[in-house]
Amino acid sequence: MRRGLGGGLPWAGLLYAAGAAALCLYALFGATPYGLRVLTVAGVYALAAIGFQIVFGLAGALSLAQGAFFGLGAYASGILSSQFGWDFAATLPAALAVPLLVALVVGLPVLRLESHYFALATLGIAQILLLAAVNLPALTGGANGLAGVPGVVLFGRTVPRGLPLAALVWGIVAVGGLLAWRLSVGRWGRALTLVRDDPMVAATLGLDVGRLRLGAFALSALFGGAAGALAVHTQRVVSPEVLEFPVMVTILTVAVVGGRGRVAGAVLGAVLLLHLPEWLRGLERGYLLVYGAALLLTIVLAPHGLTGLVERLLPARARPLPAPRPLPEPAAPHTEPLRVEGLRKAFGGVWAVDGVSLAVPRGAILGLIGPNGSGKTTLINLVSGLERADAGRVLVAGRYATALRADARARLGVARSFQAGALPAAATVLEAVAAARLERSRGVAEAEGQGMAVLHRLGIADHAATLCGGLPAGLRRRVELARALARQPAVLLLDEPAAGLTDAEKRELAAHLRALAGEGLGILLVEHDMGFLLPLATRVVVLDQGRTLYDGPPQGVRQDRRVVAAYLGEGGGA
Amino acid sequence: MTILRRTVRATAMTGALLAALAATPATAADFGFPVLVPVTGFLSLEGTSQRNGAVLALRKAPAGIGVRSTVIDTGTSPETAVTALDRAAGGGDPVLAVAASMLGTQMLAMLPLAKEYGVPLVTVSGTASITEQGNPWVFRFFPGDAVTKAAHARYVVEELGKRRPAVIHQTTAYGQSGQAHLKAEFERLGVRPVFEEGVDASAKDLLPVITKALAAEPDVLVLHLHSAPTALFIRQAAAHGVTLPVVAGSAMHQPSTAALLDPAELKGVCAETAASPVSGGSPAVEAFTAEYRAAFGTEPDAFALGQYDGMRMVLDAVAGGARTPDAVRAALSAGRHEGLAMTYRSDGKGNMAHSAVIVCYDGRSRVPAIAKRYDDVTGVLK
Repeated sequence: MRRGLGGGLPWAGLLYAAGAAALCLYALFGATPYGLRVLTVAGVYALAAIGFQIVFGLAGALSLAQGAFFGLGAYASGILSSQFGWDFAATLPAALAVPLLVALVVGLPVLRLESHYFALATLGIAQILLLAAVNLPALTGGANGLAGVPGVVLFGRTVPRGLPLAALVWGIVAVGGLLAWRLSVGRWGRALTLVRDDPMVAATLGLDVGRLRLGAFALSALFGGAAGALAVHTQRVVSPEVLEFPVMVTILTVAVVGGRGRVAGAVLGAVLLLHLPEWLRGLERGYLLVYGAALLLTIVLAPHGLTGLVERLLPARARPLPAPRPLPEPAAPHTEPLRVEGLRKAFGGVWAVDGVSLAVPRGAILGLIGPNGSGKTTLINLVSGLERADAGRVLVAGRYATALRADARARLGVARSFQAGALPAAATVLEAVAAARLERSRGVAEAEGQGMAVLHRLGIADHAATLCGGLPAGLRRRVELARALARQPAVLLLDEPAAGLTDAEKRELAAHLRALAGEGLGILLVEHDMGFLLPLATRVVVLDQGRTLYDGPPQGVRQDRRVVAAYLGEGGGA
Repeated sequence: MTILRRTVRATAMTGALLAALAATPATAADFGFPVLVPVTGFLSLEGTSQRNGAVLALRKAPAGIGVRSTVIDTGTSPETAVTALDRAAGGGDPVLAVAASMLGTQMLAMLPLAKEYGVPLVTVSGTASITEQGNPWVFRFFPGDAVTKAAHARYVVEELGKRRPAVIHQTTAYGQSGQAHLKAEFERLGVRPVFEEGVDASAKDLLPVITKALAAEPDVLVLHLHSAPTALFIRQAAAHGVTLPVVAGSAMHQPSTAALLDPAELKGVCAETAASPVSGGSPAVEAFTAEYRAAFGTEPDAFALGQYDGMRMVLDAVAGGARTPDAVRAALSAGRHEGLAMTYRSDGKGNMAHSAVIVCYDGRSRVPAIAKRYDDVTGVLK
């Protein structure tokens, strides 16, 4: 979870500001008409790449449709201005609306696809649009395109090329960049990075992954359309080249070289990559070789892009930690936070969960044990909504949740941890925990303040600024618990929370769980460590081959012959 | 000689020529003639021919005239082309004329800017619409589709006596423009193609389209494809025993296209073009071909010769006293030039070339012979 531009980066910020000032001085006093054109085109690609940073950098979706949105904007503005004489003030909204509409229509089905299929599907969109542009000559001018596109005519006055046009383009880049930056560092941007890092975790924290992705896709289309509209009035012709793959490759390269997910990266990458070929143009064919080598070198030396390199050389000053803010008063606990009835799930021909029923009353800790492959984690996935049940019912706080997605179940009151740690390595402990409050808070500051309150409660506030990637196992488990608790759930599903902990850490964890149960929280606890679980649990369910083998008090587990035979063995378990 | 060695040699030779041009002592009359052509991308073969023709012509500056010239690659996007024009003409140094890209969409993008700068664009682009924009700064030294496709269709119908052509064209601007003119010309000749289909320039297997075309029972295959697809079509047709005559577009006449095929595969293949310098025809053309080979280590084609003729006409205008871009424009608009490929004269729109030839291969050599010449197809020359 990387922060957006400026998050505690005074030196880097100063460097970017100095670069922007130098660019302004160059445009005002040093640039020839040619220099201003290259700068203008760089601005156009910066705008397109800023949009791409939102969908690719923040949301983590490799959309190859950004070039198509660019082309759609170009065609919309080019056709309306050259064929109907529309003013740029009217063609620009059209150039935003057309790609937006396409993004919303195609986004719904394609955003459900896995990453590589999504990339191919979005590439397909671009190919279809390209074919349409070539084969609808009455509308698009066919392969030749449409000549006679005017320059930017704004409210009846032509914006002259050179400095005025460059100023207009970069003014729009500045507005767009500021908007994107505000979004990226805000609640929405944080939520998107969570979706990028782990969509399943994001869903279990109450975030509507589909809506977030669709929003990012649509916003990227707006930026692409605006860039295309500016491009077409800069080059004064609209032809199928604006829909071809090289446009997409340029945008992708700008984003990667500049620094993924960064507005500053888009600007820096565009300025560099649009100027570099011009500096090398005199080498004729040789320039491609030098250009390629320069790109390769940049990526090798700065794998996180140029902005990543800047931040490595000028590391961020530690941000002051926010003061803890009280979480809102939770609703009165339901008498039965969780009930599962006849739940079944098959993978292929194997029943992973076969008719399991259980209930977690208010303030209870229900232990769920069984041999590996018995269906414990599948059951937790079915309850939290990450898997769809083939049969049976799930009730959360008395409400049917069987048909709900994971994010909706989270909003009903289900929170969970994962067997394998699921904390984003690049996020701080505070950011990871505050992520659980994004859906319920009014902003990042409030979410972080509430996150701090949870960290204090679990005694790990001193680690708030530590990156999750470097946490020892015990601390990771506690951070995961803190993140789940930050949801203020009705029921907590914990998947092997004591794995890898020392005895002292286990005792501390057990104390926390008892205290939570004492406050009325229902806990479903999957654990192999019988020494940890049995004294803690108020009731135990044992699964074997997806079926309930035992359901009763903890004291009866070691006496049940079937449990001993199937799971504990004659030694009696750990 | 490998392609790499040829490329290195050609680049080195061009560099040497341009260095020589740049090293010309500055004189009171020192003018720029930038060469803005696509030397990378899908038109790199043709664009390199164009560049070579311009560079060769610019070596022969009129006495007392200093020639400054830089080759700038325009790639394949309109945006790169207009940027290149801004770079060449926007620097303040006097530019009398520009050798401009043969790619139609790039020309369409450059035209408004050329008008703003007031600088003539001399090109060999075949795209019809570039001279239909009412822009007085464009001059095309290669017959447009109105000329070449008239010759193409007339040769098929009048010389070969075929009445059932199958037309296979590219889906690019070049392909769409040529197909439209072929259709109109066949219609004028009272012939209706039995098959028409566009193919993508990146298609790697043309057997499906060959099979579909043969199913329509044509008596001749009429191609209007780029260089590599033309070679692929002819090779696949030969491999499958197709014996129908093939009359291809101008891409076929290029030595670089013929080099992709065995001479036997070329038997029965003809092509339209503006000229075929490797076929000879006059001592001046043979001298040009020899000079071109010596300079670049490759064979010249009609694009090289057309661009050479165009830049020679510009330099003749300068030698005749034209010292401003507008004076060069006026000379090109009103003048007549006896070029190596043909006689050039503007039709009032900037179309300078009005002749085309049909070349045919005998199956034993990759050098075609001129089978038919069509002069003054548009009726401009008096």
